[in-house]
Amino acid sequence: MNNGRLFSVVVLTFLMFIALIIRLFNIQIVRGDEFSFYAQRQQMNVEMVQPERGLIFDRNDNLLVYNRNDVSFYVDTRMAKKRDRKAIAEKFASFFNKDVSYYENLIKKGSKIVCIEKKVFHERIVELKNLKVNGLFYKDEPTRIYQYENLASHILGYVNTKYSGVDGIESYFDKVLKGEEGRRIILRDAKGETVTINQENQKPATSGKNIQLTIDKEIQAALDEELAKGKNLYKATSFVGIVMDPGNGNILALSVADNFNPNKYNEFSDTVRRNQALTDTYEPGSTFKAVTLASFLDKGVCKESDRVFLENGNYRFKKILIKDSHASSWMDVRGVFSNSSNIGMSKLSQHIENEDLYIYLRGFGLGNYTYINLPSEVRGTLKKPENWTEYSKSSISYGYEISVTPIQMATVYSAIVNGGILYQPTVVKKILNNDGSLYREFEPKEIRRVISEETSERMKKLFFEVVDKGTGKKAKINGINIGGKTGTSRQIVEGSYSREKYNSSFIGFFPVENPKYLVFVLANSPTQHAYYGGDVAAPVFRNISERIINLDPKLELKSELDHDLKLVSVTEFQTSLDSINGKRHLSVIRTKNNIRQTNKWIMPDLRGLSIRDAVFEMTKRKIQYTLKGNGRITEQSIPPGTKLKKGIVCRLSCDQGELFGARLY
Amino acid sequence: MRIDYKLNDKFDLSLFSAALILIVMGLMGIYSSTQNTPHVMLNFEKQLFSLGVGMAGLIIIYFLPLNFFKVISLPTYAVSIFLLVVVLLIGKTVGGAKSWIGLGIFSFQPVELAKFASVLALAHYLSKPNINLDNLKDIFITLAIGLGPVPLILLEPDMGSSFVFFGFVLIILFWRGLSVFGIYVVISPVIIAISSLLGTWYFVGGAIIVLALLFYFKKDLFTSGAIMGLNLSTGFFVDYLYNFLSPHQQKRIASFIDPMSDPLGAGYNSIQAQVAIGSGGLFGKGFLNGNQTQLQYIPEQWTDFIFCVIGEEFGFIGSVLLVFLFIVLFTRILKTAVVAKDDFFGIVLVGIFSIYFIHFIINIGMTIGILPIIGIPLPFVSYGGSSLLINLAMLGLVLNVYKSRII
Repeated sequence: MNNGRLFSVVVLTFLMFIALIIRLFNIQIVRGDEFSFYAQRQQMNVEMVQPERGLIFDRNDNLLVYNRNDVSFYVDTRMAKKRDRKAIAEKFASFFNKDVSYYENLIKKGSKIVCIEKKVFHERIVELKNLKVNGLFYKDEPTRIYQYENLASHILGYVNTKYSGVDGIESYFDKVLKGEEGRRIILRDAKGETVTINQENQKPATSGKNIQLTIDKEIQAALDEELAKGKNLYKATSFVGIVMDPGNGNILALSVADNFNPNKYNEFSDTVRRNQALTDTYEPGSTFKAVTLASFLDKGVCKESDRVFLENGNYRFKKILIKDSHASSWMDVRGVFSNSSNIGMSKLSQHIENEDLYIYLRGFGLGNYTYINLPSEVRGTLKKPENWTEYSKSSISYGYEISVTPIQMATVYSAIVNGGILYQPTVVKKILNNDGSLYREFEPKEIRRVISEETSERMKKLFFEVVDKGTGKKAKINGINIGGKTGTSRQIVEGSYSREKYNSSFIGFFPVENPKYLVFVLANSPTQHAYYGGDVAAPVFRNISERIINLDPKLELKSELDHDLKLVSVTEFQTSLDSINGKRHLSVIRTKNNIRQTNKWIMPDLRGLSIRDAVFEMTKRKIQYTLKGNGRITEQSIPPGTKLKKGIVCRLSCDQGELFGARLY
Repeated sequence: MRIDYKLNDKFDLSLFSAALILIVMGLMGIYSSTQNTPHVMLNFEKQLFSLGVGMAGLIIIYFLPLNFFKVISLPTYAVSIFLLVVVLLIGKTVGGAKSWIGLGIFSFQPVELAKFASVLALAHYLSKPNINLDNLKDIFITLAIGLGPVPLILLEPDMGSSFVFFGFVLIILFWRGLSVFGIYVVISPVIIAISSLLGTWYFVGGAIIVLALLFYFKKDLFTSGAIMGLNLSTGFFVDYLYNFLSPHQQKRIASFIDPMSDPLGAGYNSIQAQVAIGSGGLFGKGFLNGNQTQLQYIPEQWTDFIFCVIGEEFGFIGSVLLVFLFIVLFTRILKTAVVAKDDFFGIVLVGIFSIYFIHFIINIGMTIGILPIIGIPLPFVSYGGSSLLINLAMLGLVLNVYKSRII
C-alpha cells in the first residue's frame, strides 16, 4: 500500500510524542521545583500561632495576672448578603439580648470588615463559633486579666491592645513573658477554605515564661489600702510606699496612691500610671540625716555621746541661717538625731571632708540607678565635690541639695540597718519555664559593703530612739521594737522653697533587733491635719506595719502584745474574722473574706481546662489554689463535686500538652 | 504445518492490555479527584458501570462479522446526524453546551457516536474503486461527508469535537494518498482560519502565503479561483464563527496566546494544570496525595484534566508510562490498518487511530500548556460514559479487524 504515507504518519506521530515527552520533562523535572513552589504557595498558608503570655504570681504562688481566651466576631460586609446579615443579627441579638436592629445597623454602617462583638469570653460562644454564615468569622483575642485589679498596678504595669507590655513588669520582662510565636501550615483549597492542617513543618508556640514576684499579695493589699486612706485623710497629692526585706533587697510591696486598674488602663492619666517610686525625685530632708550620720559614725568623725551646741534654734552658718523647729541649747548626737536637728547635723558635717562624705554617698548608690528590674527608673542628683559650694556639705547633711527617688531611699535604709550591705532591689524572685521548671532565680545581689556592721548596729539603736522618744513616736507599735526616721522637706515650687508644699516621709523597720521589714512612706504635699513627716507619714507607717505584723506569724512579738494581734496566723485569722471588728484588718479580709459566699458552691471539674480557664472558674467561686506546672490541668486535689469549705486550698497540677486546633476564618 | 493457535494470533493482546491499563489509570485518577467532592462522588462507580457495558459491547463487536460494519456504515451515519439534530432540539445543557441527550438516569453524547459514524461513512465512500483524490469534486465530497456533522456540533456549541473532525478527515485523506496539491487545498483554509484568529496582520500574512503557493501550483484559472474563493470565505466564516463563539471560548483562545494575561480567568486552568503536573516531579506525590488535585484547584478534573491527576500523583514516571501506553495503542492500530483485509477497514482503522490520536494530543497538549484549552477528553482515561463506550466499541472493531487480518 502507500508505505510512504504510513511512514509519514508514523514519523509525525512520533515527533509529537517526542514533543510531549520533552515538554513533560521540562515541566516535571527541570521546572518541577518551581511548580512545587507555586503549588505550595497557593495551597499552604502559614499562620502564626500566638503564644500564651506568661503568668505572673506573687511570692506565695498567688496568681496575679493571666490571660483569658476571648473571641471577637467580625462580619465581612462584602461577603455577607442581606439574608446572611439578617441571620447573623438575629442569632447575635438573641444571644446577647440586644436588638436585631442594633446588629443590622452595625453591619450596615461598616465598610469592609466590622467587629460586631468584641472580646466575648469564649465558653459562652461555642454555639456562635459553629454558626456558619457567609461573611461571619471570628478571631481569638485573648485578654490580659489583672484579677486583683488595682493591686500592685505600678509594679505589674499593663499591656496595650497589641498585647505588648507597656509599663512595670509587663514592659521590663516583655520578651520573657511574650514567648515565641509558633507557626502552622494550613492547606487551603481553591475556594480558600481550610482543609487540613499540615502536621509536618509546624512549630507550636512557646508560651511565655512565668514570673514569680517578690511581692506578697497580702502586704501589697495592705500597703495599697493604707496609702489610699492616708492620702484621703491628709489630702495629699500622692502617697508612695515601699515594703522591702532589708536583708536581701526583695521588694515585698510597692505602691503609689492613686493607683490604677491595669484592666482599664486607658481610663487613667499618665500621672496616675507613672510609678513615682522610681520616676520622681525629691529632696529627702531629715530622713537623709540617717545617711549622713551613718557616714560620720563609720568614718569616726563623731560618736553618739558627743555634745553639740544647737544655738537655741538659730544658727548663722557663714551667710545663711539654719533653723530648727524645736530650739535647744546643748544636745548629744543621739538627741540631734532623734529630735532631727538641722543645726546639729550641719555642725557635725564640718568634721568630715567633702570627698569622704561623697565616697559614702556614692557608696550608698546615690546619684545612680538602683538597677531594680522595673522600667523608667531615674538616678536623682548628687553633685560631685568639685561642684560643691561652701554650703553644700551642710545642706546635704540634713537632706537638701540632693535629690533621690523613693526606691533609692528604701535601698539605702536597708543597707544602713542590715549590717551595712547595699543590695540591688528586685521585684522578681524567679522566672519559671512553662513546664514549671526554674529558668532563672534572682538571688539577692550584694553590691557592696558601705558601712561596717558595727556602724549599722549603732544606727539601729539611734533609729529606735527616734521612734521611742523622738520625732517618730507616732510610729510606735506595742509588742515590737520599731526603728525609723522622719523627714519633712519643702518642695521647690517655681525655683524657691515653698511654705505650703512639703514632702513628709517616714522610713522605718522592724524588728529593730533583726530587721525583717523596711517600710518607706512618702506623702507628697499633704494639705490637711499636718505636714510633718512624724505626723503624716509615721501613722501611715504604723498602720501598714501593724497589718504586716498580723500577716506574719513568724514575727517574734514581745509579751505585752495586744491580744487581738498576738500570733494570729493567716489562716486562723481568716476564720476568726467575723469576731474581729478591727478596721485595720480590712485589707486582709478584702481578698479572702468572700470565701464565706462559697459554701453553696460545688467544686467544678477543672481537668482538661487551660490554666486561665481554671483560674477563672476558681476565681468565680473564690477557691484558693496552688498551681504546679503549666499547660492544661491534669490533676486537682479536691475531687469534682465536693462541697467547698471555707479556706479550702486546691492544688492543681498542669501539664503541657500540644494543642492543635483549626481556626476557621 | 502448525495448527497450534496462540492467543496472539486471534487477539491483539498488547493493544488490549495497553487500553486496559489506561482505563485503570483513568479509574485511579477519577477516584482520586472525586473522593473529596461530594456531588461527584458517584462518578467512579458510574465509570465502572460504563466500563462493564463498554466491555460487553467490545466483545460483541469483536465477534460480529466484519461485513456487518460495511452494511451499517451509512445508516449509522444517518442516525448520528439525526441524533445531532435531536440534541439541538431536546438536549441537556451542561457547562454551556447543549450536547447531552438524557435517557432516564443516563445521558448520552451523540457527538461521540458521530465521530465513529463519520469515519465509517468516509471509509465507505473512499473505499469505492473509482475514487480519485486528484479530483477536486471527490475531495469536496470527502470533506462534505467527514465535516457534515461539524455545523451541527458547532451549534451546540462544541468546538473541541469539531477539531477532531477536521483532524481525522485530514489524516484519512492523507493516508488515502491525497496529492501535495490536494493537501494544499485542504490545509490552506486551516492556515487562513488560524491566522485570522491571531489578528489582522497574521491573516494578511497567511493569505499571501496561500496566494504564493497557488501561483506555484500553476493550476487553471477556474481551480485557482475556486480555491482562492474557498480560502477567503473560510477567513470570513472563521471570523463570523469567532464572534459566534461564547465569550468564555473566545477567552480561551486569547489566553492560549498568553495564559498569564488573565491568570485568574481563562488562563487559570492552564496555569493550574501545569502547576499540578510540574509539582509532581519525578516520582509524583503518591496516589491520593496530590494537593493540587485534592484541594480542587482544577475544576472538573475527572474529565478533561484527568492527566493532571496522573502527572501530579504519579510524577514524570507515571506521565511517561501513560504516553508510552498510547504509543503502544497507536502503533498496534496502525500495524493492523496496514494488514487489514481490505481498504474499507484500513481506512476505518486509520480513522479510529486519528480519533484517538487527536483526542490524545490535544488533551495532553492543552494540559501541559502547548495547546489552547480545548475541552476534549483523554480516551479511555477521562471520566465520561459515552466516550468510554464508543472508544471501547472502536477498540472492539480494531481487535476484530486484527483477528481477520491478512497474514
